[in-house]
Amino acid sequence: MNWLKIKYALLTVAIFLPLLWAFVYVRNAYPVAAWNVMMAPGLLERGRTYSVLRGETVSGETIDIPAISVTNALYARTWTMVNATVDNQAFKIPNPHPANAELLRESGGIEQLPPGARLPDLLRAWGELYNERLAPTSPQRLKAIRLDMYRWEGGSYANYDNFIQTWRQEL
Amino acid sequence: MAAGIINRVVPSSAFSLGVARVVVHGTFLISVLIASFSALGHLPVTILRPTGVMKILPWSFYDRLVTPSGMTMLKVVMVVSLLLSTAGLFTVASTKSSFLLVLFYQGLLRSFGHFNHDEMLGVYCLAVLAFTPCGDRLSLGQWIRKRKSVEKPAFAYAYPILLMQLLMAWVYFSACLIKLRAGWLGYLSPDNLPSLAIYHSLDNLHDTAFRLAFWLPQFKAYLPVLVALVLLWEFFFPLAVFFPRLRWCILGGGVVFHLSTLFFMNIFFPHQLALYLLFVNWDRFAGSAGVSPANTR
Repeated sequence: MNWLKIKYALLTVAIFLPLLWAFVYVRNAYPVAAWNVMMAPGLLERGRTYSVLRGETVSGETIDIPAISVTNALYARTWTMVNATVDNQAFKIPNPHPANAELLRESGGIEQLPPGARLPDLLRAWGELYNERLAPTSPQRLKAIRLDMYRWEGGSYANYDNFIQTWRQEL
Repeated sequence: MAAGIINRVVPSSAFSLGVARVVVHGTFLISVLIASFSALGHLPVTILRPTGVMKILPWSFYDRLVTPSGMTMLKVVMVVSLLLSTAGLFTVASTKSSFLLVLFYQGLLRSFGHFNHDEMLGVYCLAVLAFTPCGDRLSLGQWIRKRKSVEKPAFAYAYPILLMQLLMAWVYFSACLIKLRAGWLGYLSPDNLPSLAIYHSLDNLHDTAFRLAFWLPQFKAYLPVLVALVLLWEFFFPLAVFFPRLRWCILGGGVVFHLSTLFFMNIFFPHQLALYLLFVNWDRFAGSAGVSPANTR
């Protein structure tokens, strides 16, 4: 029984001590979590950008493609993955992927990279996944996939969709 | 004395801890089964940003893993491990392997996107279960061996359940304090909830596309009261652990809260919601169904 109590005490400390650290410093360092979900209050004045994934079918239609329908495993993380890709976050980490490091060298630094430098790769992957599920003759197959970025300028509950930019990938 | 108190506030049978194992491991099993790992393997590894301990692994490892075949292999291994741990086979080993595999997989997902806290409580519960005798009952291993393992003192089963309940209480309690530290009265601004909710309803990159958020501005004068109630609910969530009479009221509030964030913000925490089952007194439940927890395997 004493050994059990020691074991449980160690287990409790091993779990709660890092959680307390994360709470005090409000830092997430996987797998140590600080529950800072929605920590910053929403401000109406603050403008926000957002993106919509769309496909252009071979029949000439433009359709919305909910990202969850293509990569459901990402569950709830797709929007931040896209934001990070647009912002070239994968190039800003201390140890970037060798291919990213090479692209950084070729382009002359992070400032020279266009926004969403890896977005064409992501869009191609999504487009191919989408088409894989359809028959080769289906008119719903995509000939191109694109990410349309918009901005809600804030200040009022209106004008949500000021167009900013599109990234388009032929398939 | 402490052990006596613990045994009074949480169920203290091997059966109850077995149910907790089935709930936690089963939740992750379902979530892994319905996820398309091979689709994840199509994503370019160059958009990955390894987070926390995931930085330890070399890029050559991610290059091999984040492929359709590599991710399918990971899924097969995870499903086998989670099946064993949920069913209670080789629990000493399978609960540990499931914990490590889920820990790795969740880290991989967070390296693509953001931290997202939904599954984190479940990961900590997996850690608790990996080091406790959660396979002593409700376990296929017990059936196959055709004999029950000797029950340990009640404390051995009650404390892990208490620890998991305390972890959930910490989730909400600390979330409330962090919000108050960071935003304080700004959190009670009439525009806080509508602007956050609308922002999360504009794109088609969230998992759902509910548009109820656009109704909120017309009721914004009343919303600070609602937000204050949510903060109070988070602050007092720990009472659910120690006061069974308040428990169902607090957990009911949690169900309403999480469903509201789904419909108004397109943000849902299904893993965390499933873990509310850890607050059920399974001994009493089994008793009322005419089953004695002591007689189960």
